[in-house]
Amino acid sequence: MTNPTSSVATTGSPGSRALGLATLAGLVGLLVLAFVLTEPDVRIHPSTGQEIGQFDAVRLLYLHVPMAVITYVAYSLAAFASAGYLIKRTPWWDVTAHAAAEVGTVFCFLVLVTGSIWGRPVWNTWWEWGDVRLMTTLILFLMFVGYLALRRTAADPRVQARRAAVVALVAIVDLPLVNRSVEWWENRTLHQKSTLGELKIEDLTLFTLMVGFLVFLMVFSWLLLHRFRVGWLTLAAGEHQVAAAIKERRAEADGSGVASAVGETS
Amino acid sequence: MTEDLTPQPSRPERPPRRRGSVAVIVLVLAALVAVLAVTLGDATLVFYEVDEAVEQRTELVSSRFRVVGTPLPGLVETRLDGEAAVVFTFCASGVFADVAHVGDPAELFQPGVPVVLQGSWQAGSPPGLAGLSTAANDGWFLRTDHMVVKHDNDYRTDEERTADIDACGVTG
Repeated sequence: MTNPTSSVATTGSPGSRALGLATLAGLVGLLVLAFVLTEPDVRIHPSTGQEIGQFDAVRLLYLHVPMAVITYVAYSLAAFASAGYLIKRTPWWDVTAHAAAEVGTVFCFLVLVTGSIWGRPVWNTWWEWGDVRLMTTLILFLMFVGYLALRRTAADPRVQARRAAVVALVAIVDLPLVNRSVEWWENRTLHQKSTLGELKIEDLTLFTLMVGFLVFLMVFSWLLLHRFRVGWLTLAAGEHQVAAAIKERRAEADGSGVASAVGETS
Repeated sequence: MTEDLTPQPSRPERPPRRRGSVAVIVLVLAALVAVLAVTLGDATLVFYEVDEAVEQRTELVSSRFRVVGTPLPGLVETRLDGEAAVVFTFCASGVFADVAHVGDPAELFQPGVPVVLQGSWQAGSPPGLAGLSTAANDGWFLRTDHMVVKHDNDYRTDEERTADIDACGVTG
């Protein structure tokens, strides 16, 4: 068996490098659009005549909203692949689920952080305990942190994969609650309803948000691809180590004449 | 001493620990349900609209609750029980209530921007009420100490979005 770690020096490939470069360019473009080209959110109140709105804080939404949607995508993929593993019991599904859950948790953390930074100037609070949207998102994040912790326990890999798959399927139940909370419990959350759902966005603001979705989808794809390859190589390296250990023991047995001794005792 | 290298029969496989896994899943689910139940069941976390808070005043009079509405033009800076306070009239769906907010208001607080306040009903009138042209002046006021801004989801141009602002029929 070939050593996978020696035959493949990197998880990159021409395709992934091209995607990486396009993603970097996209990120730069998104930051220029979000922080330079778009206008701050300002409007004149019809009664008071004063300026109201989110002002420059709105720029964070071009990052926060796409990252939230990618979190949904990543966790849904993790749950789908977990179900696939429980049905097929092949490592491909397990490695996919693990990679999607890990990348999704990074995105979910960034969603919580950017939301909190946005909330301080706009809502006047970093965090509201008891707010339904915030709490369901935090629960989702913590459940997938638990999933990742479970993946690090020293159980049999197949047992570990099975348990993790079940946890992912339990955790995903929270996802519709996160998404629909602003509609179902409107009077229990500060979080605004979906802007895109009601199409209350237009022109460059809408364009920038769409670019944000595309760019973060590219970021997610690039991270997922590499994380999957790392997981797959780790799996192959583990199998290689076992095969090498068996080969080594056999060589030891042949060299020391233990095989004949075994034959004598049996 | 020679080590016995005779191949040994493998240990019998342990039956899968289904009970333990099920218990963990049940515990996780129970924790999830408990957190959600606390979050959704805590009455202090419900945002009452101003008209609901006025309508349910007798039931809410001894409780601390959250109320959402729009401050009307006209803010009076004053002191209440030795603390800095801002007094204004709060409105939703054409129903008015007077408010004395103790402590620093939110950075984006200004008339016309909906806010969520936390506090309780108090009998009487707050200081400075005479300076408000739109005061409810009904013998009650909301004494609040926590203020957060509730922003809407509208990012359209001025003409379209200002039409949706609830100004309670009051002009500045």
